[in-house]
Amino acid sequence: MIRSINIFLICTSVAMLAGVYTLKFSIEGTASERTALSAKISDQEGQLSLLKADWAVLNQPGHVAPIIKRHQAELAVAPVAQAQFGAFADLPMRPARPDTAAMDALFEAIADGIDPIDAILELEGIE
Amino acid sequence: MAVIGDDFTPTIALDGARKQRGNLTQARIRWMMLALVIGFGLVGGRLVQLGMVESDQTIEGQARDVITATRPPILDRNGLEMAVDIRVPSLFAEPRRIVDVEEAVSKLRTVLPNLDEAWLRNRLTGDRGFVWVQRELTPAIQDAVMRLGIPGIDFITESKRFYPGMNEAAHILGSTNVDNQGISGIERHMDSESVALLQELGLARGNALTPVELSVDMRVQHVMHEQLVDAMTRYQAIAAAGVMLDIHTGEVIALASLPDFNPNEPATALVKDTFNRITSGIFEPGSIFKTVTMAGALDAGAVRITDQFDARYGIRFGRYTIDDFHGKHRILALPEVYKYSSNIGTIRVMQAMGKDSYRAFLSRMKFDERVQFELPEMRVPSVPKDFSEVGAATASFGHGLSVSPLHMVTAYAAFANGGNYIAPTLYKRSAAEAEPLYERVLQPRTSEYLRYLMRLNAISTGGSGSQMNKAALGYRVGGKTGTAEKVVDGRYSSSKVTNFFASAFPLDNPRYAMVIMVDEPKAENPQSGTTAGWNAGTITGRIVQRVAPMLGIAPDFSEMLDQQIVPAEVRQLYPEGF
Repeated sequence: MIRSINIFLICTSVAMLAGVYTLKFSIEGTASERTALSAKISDQEGQLSLLKADWAVLNQPGHVAPIIKRHQAELAVAPVAQAQFGAFADLPMRPARPDTAAMDALFEAIADGIDPIDAILELEGIE
Repeated sequence: MAVIGDDFTPTIALDGARKQRGNLTQARIRWMMLALVIGFGLVGGRLVQLGMVESDQTIEGQARDVITATRPPILDRNGLEMAVDIRVPSLFAEPRRIVDVEEAVSKLRTVLPNLDEAWLRNRLTGDRGFVWVQRELTPAIQDAVMRLGIPGIDFITESKRFYPGMNEAAHILGSTNVDNQGISGIERHMDSESVALLQELGLARGNALTPVELSVDMRVQHVMHEQLVDAMTRYQAIAAAGVMLDIHTGEVIALASLPDFNPNEPATALVKDTFNRITSGIFEPGSIFKTVTMAGALDAGAVRITDQFDARYGIRFGRYTIDDFHGKHRILALPEVYKYSSNIGTIRVMQAMGKDSYRAFLSRMKFDERVQFELPEMRVPSVPKDFSEVGAATASFGHGLSVSPLHMVTAYAAFANGGNYIAPTLYKRSAAEAEPLYERVLQPRTSEYLRYLMRLNAISTGGSGSQMNKAALGYRVGGKTGTAEKVVDGRYSSSKVTNFFASAFPLDNPRYAMVIMVDEPKAENPQSGTTAGWNAGTITGRIVQRVAPMLGIAPDFSEMLDQQIVPAEVRQLYPEGF
């Protein structure tokens, strides 16, 4: 009885020992992975900061303006002059809408073979 | 039954085998317990000892965290970066771990030939734990040094400040030292506010800091800087500077001063003459101060806009006679006094007000104290405590007192915005935030008069702002020129002048005030002169012509707007408003 309990306990302790060891090694693996990742992150953050700085330089008006000046001829651009600005007040009023009903009537009449011009000419007595 | 006798022999106790073994076991258990207690005590003691050890977290007396601490990015009002942090490798050595100093020195100097050999050898010998070799290098150099494979030489990543705008906003931003602490400009102001505290607590790591938003508009700043650089060559001036304010919020839209420096190389800021002329340069403002005199006298009701002044003869003060520069030598109405920039007329206006109340008005406009502003580089203006007769007379047209251009632009902002003094700022500030800070210095009525006078200067014939108006046609700019003679060997020199043009636009509904300064300009060509209208004036015109569309101001050529600015009482007298 006692002996079988002892054997059982020894077996469980060996199993537990093995479990603890595997856990320990897996944790060490995870920790080194984490270290590698954080190193990679900080490295990439460094690269990102450089890229952001580059981006900021490229966006500066002081960087863009000379480029535009150099290519003024090809791009046909120039600083905007006051005369180029329009205002809403300068727009002409919208023209009257075409009389669609009358146009339809005219086309229908032409389709029916009635020539309105002929009628006018007859009135004038030209024909 | 015991026999009781006198002679006892000692009894012999005979233990059985089991009892003996029991005793032995007891003893063994005690020994084991002792051994265990000692063993665990040792382990526990060692643990406590390890807990007490303080690992070396400092680098030459500074915490490692501070070295890698970051600063918040600085953005302009449109969110464009004006200053960012970049991560750079810094080279350090651990002399304790260096095996062969000579080899290390010779190898390092193949990559970094600018290092002094004796200095480097001295640096690498000894048994210190940490010494800097060179800070803020490039990734390429880092690779090259790593390839040398010297033991005890390594890199640490530091934050370095980088200013993508280069020279353009140098005086606004200032610069930082190698430890990432602000040493001038807004960088230093930020430190005094909060960043330094964050860094001390070790919280300023990573890039999670809230960006600082400035009021500056980089586009306008670029145009102003470009025009000032152009002016330096065009007029062969020794210096030029300009500042633009939003008059309703007091926000600085642009601020530039030449000669300037590159904030990426802080050493360039130590060159003579690169000081910020807008805040820490004080000058005799010359005729742009006449606007202040007019404002004071009109506001006090001492003169009316339609009053006439006798400018036929110079005014005598003992041995001195003060005369006009381009004298008309006739009776002038107040708008004409302003337009022709008549010294005599201005003195009469000041005298109508009285010299003591004039001095009090200067205090009300805060001309005798520092402007409240974020930049640490400020100088106290020099305005006499009280004026003599002649002192007040010269002060009325801007001589005999020195103020900074920032004072002038703040005053002009108050003149144009309806008479509210608002201290300028470099941080973003909305109109709602600004309004509680308003301080009424003029009646709205006076502000209207002044706007009319400034605009008159630009549009009427013979006005000193006509050169400016040519370039900025349609944007309703108006202002006042100032040509202040410099003191050379204790006398005013007519060849060395400081020129100013103080302006506001668009005057039918003013939004911005600007002061441009050119120091010791020469004539551009034989047909032009050296007075302010020719240089500071035209620069102003060109700047407005470029920036008005960016600021959302549409050009308008209608005469109506200019007519509406003319006050009613002037129109009754002069129907065409001069």
